[in-house]
Amino acid sequence: MSNMKRVQKEILAIEQDKEAHIEVILPEDGSMNHMTAKISGPVNTPYEGGLFTVDVSVPPEYPFLPPKMKFVSRVYHPNISSQTGAICLDILKDKWTPVLTLKSALISLQSLLSTPEPDDPQDAQVAAHYKRDKEDFEQTAKYWTEVYANPNAEVLPDGVKPEALARLVDMGFGRSNAINALAEFKGDEQAAVESLL
Amino acid sequence: MSSDSDYDDDVMNEFDDTMDEDSIMDDSDDYENSLDDSGDELEYYEDGEDLNFDGVMAEKHRKKLYQVDYTVQSSKHLMGSQDKEVGQVASILGMPKEHAATLLRHYRWNKEKLIERYMDNPEKVLRLAGVVTDKVRRIIPAREISTPQHPFSCDICCDDEEELETVAVSCNHRFCRTCYEHYLRQKIREEGESRKIECPQDGCKIVVDEKTVEEVVDKNTHLRYRELLNRTFVDDNDHLRWCPAPNCEFAVECHIPSTSLTTIVPTVECECSHQFCFGCGLPDHQPAICPLVKKWQKKCEDDSETANWISAHTKECPKCHSTIEKNGGCNHMTCRKCKYEFCWVCMGPWSEHGTSWYNCNRYDEKSSHEARDSQTQSRASLERYLHYYNRFANHQQSAKLDQDLYRKTEKKMEEMQQTSDLSWIEVQFLKKAVDTLTQCRMTLKWTYAFAFYLSRTNETVIFEDNQKDLEMATEHLSELLEKPLEREKIAELRQNVLDKTVYVKQRREILLEDTAKGLLEGRWTFFVDLK
Repeated sequence: MSNMKRVQKEILAIEQDKEAHIEVILPEDGSMNHMTAKISGPVNTPYEGGLFTVDVSVPPEYPFLPPKMKFVSRVYHPNISSQTGAICLDILKDKWTPVLTLKSALISLQSLLSTPEPDDPQDAQVAAHYKRDKEDFEQTAKYWTEVYANPNAEVLPDGVKPEALARLVDMGFGRSNAINALAEFKGDEQAAVESLL
Repeated sequence: MSSDSDYDDDVMNEFDDTMDEDSIMDDSDDYENSLDDSGDELEYYEDGEDLNFDGVMAEKHRKKLYQVDYTVQSSKHLMGSQDKEVGQVASILGMPKEHAATLLRHYRWNKEKLIERYMDNPEKVLRLAGVVTDKVRRIIPAREISTPQHPFSCDICCDDEEELETVAVSCNHRFCRTCYEHYLRQKIREEGESRKIECPQDGCKIVVDEKTVEEVVDKNTHLRYRELLNRTFVDDNDHLRWCPAPNCEFAVECHIPSTSLTTIVPTVECECSHQFCFGCGLPDHQPAICPLVKKWQKKCEDDSETANWISAHTKECPKCHSTIEKNGGCNHMTCRKCKYEFCWVCMGPWSEHGTSWYNCNRYDEKSSHEARDSQTQSRASLERYLHYYNRFANHQQSAKLDQDLYRKTEKKMEEMQQTSDLSWIEVQFLKKAVDTLTQCRMTLKWTYAFAFYLSRTNETVIFEDNQKDLEMATEHLSELLEKPLEREKIAELRQNVLDKTVYVKQRREILLEDTAKGLLEGRWTFFVDLK
């Protein structure tokens, strides 16, 4: 792949820059066309404290075509699909130029988190929420950050969804009990609640 | 009526027609000649404008009011015009041609505006258009600009070998040649960009000029680039329009401004014989003007089938005018919306039906009369629309069927050559007749859209008479063409068809002429806003 050299150099640059709070994890097979990035939520936003996982794929035409990025962590944001993680950002589309880098794109994602554009939404429902009641929106965004992008979250067993766990904890069950119950019933919330009662 | 002299008339008429077409083509020849001799060019434009306004000139050229002046241009010709404009501006402003070209494209080929603005504030114009005129060598080997402290490294591929060639435009953002080429190829081939390819540097608005593109990209990409540039020359120029016919590469030049589209229908015919409206690009829609055509098409898209169905299957509540479909049950109706009770048959109030339940015999009662009247009124507008729409659609359909007629006619012509002593040239009248028929159907079709928006005045009676005459003549001709061939009657049929064709043609011209005249005089009043 002709862009290997450039991608290598870019990843090195990201690793050297500790200020940016960006981390790139390469797959174990050593390929350079697909990787996972982790960006931390900007301070003074509902996303503060969260560590968001972004799926990055580098097309063969890179850097003449933009890299493809989408959020793996669920994010409550007007320009990010709450269902698929698809991102609406101009530099990942028509404003891309070959001198931009993976790092600059990831930094742009961070700044997108701090400056939502509800008038050009990816997720119309979220954008409507933002425009209707910003405070309420921020609460939801904050909640999602805690649930889906919590860097301190323990690794949950298969089938245990963080949102289901959060609901059970809200009901007053002990955290580890709730995890065990959910794991036992393969994520079936109803059954887990009944077993806990 | 002696048929011989009649035939002579026809021949004369046909001859006149060809004269007309020739005179239009003459203009294009003039223009082409004028290109070689730049001094003639101004004269041509003056001529063209005279034709639009000066009745005397129009008379001389035998131009009909519904016709406009235009020229058809090949892509080679367009390249020539383009180069000429660029050359002119380059010499006036004293700058290299590639910069003049970029400026012209930025100002959408509006030479006057560009020169005016440039004279006012050249720096601003250059900046806005993305031109920097400083002398910068475009292609330089990397070793010439590398220093031990700052070796050249391409920001795109991160290559830093000394053998690299580097490219930059006037902003001096340098990248290696391979990347620059790749970037340009991506823009030209994949994104179809030409006029505004900016420097690859993020945020740099400097446009990569033609010369650099030519030097950097391969031959095929450059050809494609020229093609795209050529296209913007036409796309950006208000007086030029591509022929919309598939695979047609001609453009039409016509100096009808978009502001006069409310008074004139600029129908033009391309070299490929496709007739279309210069104003909107749709197929010829004379006599209806562009704004009406647009409104009509929108209305038809929204309404036609739904309206048909509503009119056929529903009635309105006599009180609140909600549309009601009766899908079963008795005739005692209670409106869901306003709870009004009425009889489905006579539309009168149910209370007056007394004891004669479910057996409406009160048709002549006053109250039910009134109910029906108001119903009739609110339906009238729908009926009116359907009246025009059905006729419009009918002609459209018939025009489609003419495709079949074409085939049949061809067969007929072969038959005629075999069964009579007529020669090939003598049976061409049938083809000519079908052409005329199709053309008249298209015209008729649009007369109905036109008439729909016409407010009723004494003038509309004239229009409708003309329409009626054309329609009758067209149907007669159509009937003649559908007739089976009888050997002994071929001479008679030929005569009839010839007569009718000429007559239909004349009726069409009369209608178009009168309508066009009315438009120019402001004789027609429309009940819709044309803006």
